[in-house]
Amino acid sequence: MESRLSSVLLATVVILSGCSWFHRGEKAPAEVVAEEPQGEPSIVEPQVPRREIKTPKIKARDFEIGGYYGALSIQDFGTNPIYGIRAAYHVTEDIFLEGFLARSKAGTTSLEDVFPDITVVSDSGRHFTYYDLDLGYNVLPGEIFLGRGRAFNSALYATFGLGDVKFANKDQFALNFGAGERLLITDWLAVHLDVRDHVFETDLTGRTKNVHNIEATFGLTAFY
Amino acid sequence: MRRLLALLLLLQALYVGTAQAKRPLLQLVVTQPYIEMRSGPGRGYPVTYVVGRDEVVTVLFSRTDWYKIRASGGQEGWTRRADLAETQMISGEAAPIPPYPDFTTHRWEVGAGYGVFNHENLATAWGDFALTNSLDAELVVQQAFGTIDNRYIATFGLRHTFLPDFKWISPTAGIGFGYQYVQDREPPAPLQKSNQLAYISLGLRGFITRRFMWRADWRKYEVFTNQNQNEEPDEWKVGLAVFF
Repeated sequence: MESRLSSVLLATVVILSGCSWFHRGEKAPAEVVAEEPQGEPSIVEPQVPRREIKTPKIKARDFEIGGYYGALSIQDFGTNPIYGIRAAYHVTEDIFLEGFLARSKAGTTSLEDVFPDITVVSDSGRHFTYYDLDLGYNVLPGEIFLGRGRAFNSALYATFGLGDVKFANKDQFALNFGAGERLLITDWLAVHLDVRDHVFETDLTGRTKNVHNIEATFGLTAFY
Repeated sequence: MRRLLALLLLLQALYVGTAQAKRPLLQLVVTQPYIEMRSGPGRGYPVTYVVGRDEVVTVLFSRTDWYKIRASGGQEGWTRRADLAETQMISGEAAPIPPYPDFTTHRWEVGAGYGVFNHENLATAWGDFALTNSLDAELVVQQAFGTIDNRYIATFGLRHTFLPDFKWISPTAGIGFGYQYVQDREPPAPLQKSNQLAYISLGLRGFITRRFMWRADWRKYEVFTNQNQNEEPDEWKVGLAVFF
């Protein structure tokens, strides 16, 4: 009886293994032998949260934003203070795009000084407001040395662009060009010295002519 | 002046606020024989330190194509994108230095330029988002400086680029709608201060170098007025753009 049972079992094993031979190309499911905990629960339950690895991002500091203050010489209207804001995007180490927005107020012409009864421009028209869209090129990048132990990165740059000048309550198409020096006090703080000329056509003083309005400004910007 | 100072102070406060929020910094292992660190973000700055193979550097931030890094000894300097791209993360994976944006598949574009609108000077600026390689959605803001009036025009449209794989020059065509605001310069005042408008455009675009491209466009507008006749001005413009 016992030998008969064992022979039946043996035959079953042989047949089953033979069947499995036909499936040898397929991936056999991983056999999991899980011992059912009988009576005693397992003491240690592994609950280790999966660690999330985040690759830190590199911060790009290509934008520069700040303000400037200086003197603007409005042709025929004297030299007056000017203040404005500027924002730049540095595309390559050489080239940057910059936008300016500034305001000044014109003084009086010499004609108005000599003959106080004459007004060339009304009081509200004396505001000189402009915006500019510029392309800049760092012509002379370098370092400036202060004493023996300090060096500041700097660049002499040239800018060229177009924009709008609103003067005498009229908007005029204006071209501008200039040069400036950027001195980086730290990696993110820069000091600027700029000279720029705003050229536009006007007939304000009688005949149509191109007027040059040159500004010299001091600026402070932050890179972010 | 006071307003300007207030703005500067605000900027300063913003900066300090962001700077103090501690971010984990990326650390990279040098796999090439050495990488050079320069004193400034430019090809002309002198090399001040050299980091050898298997040394770990910390990447602080980037400016244009240059990355400011710190060596394990505390020395800081600027290294170029191409050098840093060859390094590895500590886990052995390639350094996550983003590749240069490809012109054909670029997503964003920002540009400005000069044009002529109805024989008048035009200053133009645009932002552009690529929906596919050949279809873009564009937002254009411009100002036309006329002798009797001054116009602000804002338009939104779609533009198709034929042959987007042609890098140096490929034709484009577009269609869109917008709005114009007319500011009087000389009397008589305009009959309508603001109008809706629509346009069709034909143009060309091309790659220049690195992240720069050029664009030239012709547009025909249909300005909807409350008169018997619509205005039909046309416009030419050329511009320079940066793509991302």
